[in-house]
Amino acid sequence: MSHAAEHNAELGWNPEDPHGTNTHAHGHVVVGWRLQLGVLAALLFFTALTVGFYSLEKWAEVAFLIDLPNWVNIVGAMSIASIKATLVCMYFMQLRYDKPLNTFALLFCLFAVGLFLFFSMIDLSTRGWVTEYKYGEAQDGGTGVALDADPRDARFGIRISPKVSTGGQNLIDTRRAEYQAKWMKSHEGATEKDWWAYYYGHVKHPQKMSDDTENYFAQLGFDSHGDELSTADKRVVRTGRTNALELDEHAGHEQAHSAAHGSDH
Amino acid sequence: MQTTLDAYDTPAPDHLRDHPKHWRNRKAGHHWRTHDEEFDASKLGMWLFLTTEVLLFAGIFCGYAVFRLLYPEAWANGSHYLDWRFGGLNTVILLISSWTVANAVRCAQLNNQKWLRINLIITLICAALFVWIKLQFEYMPKLGEGKAPGTFFSYPFAQDAHEPLWWSLYYVGTGIHALHVFIGAGLLGWVLYRSWKYEAYGPTEYTMVENSALYWHLVDLVWIFLFPLLYLIH
Repeated sequence: MSHAAEHNAELGWNPEDPHGTNTHAHGHVVVGWRLQLGVLAALLFFTALTVGFYSLEKWAEVAFLIDLPNWVNIVGAMSIASIKATLVCMYFMQLRYDKPLNTFALLFCLFAVGLFLFFSMIDLSTRGWVTEYKYGEAQDGGTGVALDADPRDARFGIRISPKVSTGGQNLIDTRRAEYQAKWMKSHEGATEKDWWAYYYGHVKHPQKMSDDTENYFAQLGFDSHGDELSTADKRVVRTGRTNALELDEHAGHEQAHSAAHGSDH
Repeated sequence: MQTTLDAYDTPAPDHLRDHPKHWRNRKAGHHWRTHDEEFDASKLGMWLFLTTEVLLFAGIFCGYAVFRLLYPEAWANGSHYLDWRFGGLNTVILLISSWTVANAVRCAQLNNQKWLRINLIITLICAALFVWIKLQFEYMPKLGEGKAPGTFFSYPFAQDAHEPLWWSLYYVGTGIHALHVFIGAGLLGWVLYRSWKYEAYGPTEYTMVENSALYWHLVDLVWIFLFPLLYLIH
């Protein structure tokens, strides 16, 4: 055998059939149907497990009046999701039987994702260091407080978002006030007390009151006024669901007083 | 383990025997030495593309993590607005569709044309079901209540000032995922059409089935993480 022929044989190349239409040096692995069905069963099992874990945790919090730390929930759900993802990659996407280069590409990508998350978390945890210098420039984002812009895009003369002007309020307070005005109009003779009764009948998370809600229930002392809110610069961890029990009676009285004055103008 | 070689000698139907699009008559591109090289290169290219898709969704997951740490109350409220039963049902639908599409690849490898098509059709039905559940039971009722992203937000009973932000992330995350469902279904529909008309895929020519299946599995992978993050973690 000549040197060139030997070299071609090494490459799996046959000069008689350069495009390899008739040669099939090796076949691709066909994953057996029993294995595939088993993987599907495992994936469904882990889905049930993650939902079960979630329900169990919710039940335990109510049954034993405890507030489990956040990481229990997160670590449980993310570990199960990772196991499921590994199963899909190995057997459905056939990485186990593939060239290792494909697995390497995926793992390198996951490493990049890790870096991405890592540096974002570093940024987040060190923001306190620059707060002093940035004070006055940085503000809490995402609440809609600063929404006063012309929704018309000057470059194209088209409307790209609804006209919203919150006048320095939160977007959620603006929307509640708008809805309240509409509701009062459609319910003739309704008092403000009726509105707040209706409002709290529809609130989904009554244990978590926002700080700036001046309302009837706050006047009665059922709101958690005085609680700090989380902002872009600090995280306020809130545990326990019994805010009303911790209420300072004097603070409640003061709010009722100021609310009465506020209704004059 | 069984390989595609075992199925190579199955007969071709008469009317497609000489059709250039039938899998037996497909030749590797002139710049490839063998079919296998073309297949491997194509698959590596698909994997590289999938890594860019993973990085696209990583942006959404990173945004989720940052906002969750900054505004834990809004994120806890947000996940309580969602019903895990719809998310769970959609998870099961996507897992089953992932299984049928893996079976479709297997059937192409073994020249089982009938079950290749049946598996693809089941996958497409699952895709339609997923999108229907998403629209009918999640997007439509929520948008009707005003739980909309950003400045479109008009839900009057919100309790945390950052809830509009949660809805922005929810719609961007699930919306881009739904876009991928549409694209994946389009690819698989194309595979089904060519399989139906020309029997274009078989043991030596199933690159398009394999790569479309990989794309579909990625859609499944993303949902495997989106489901607990949005519906279960509170």
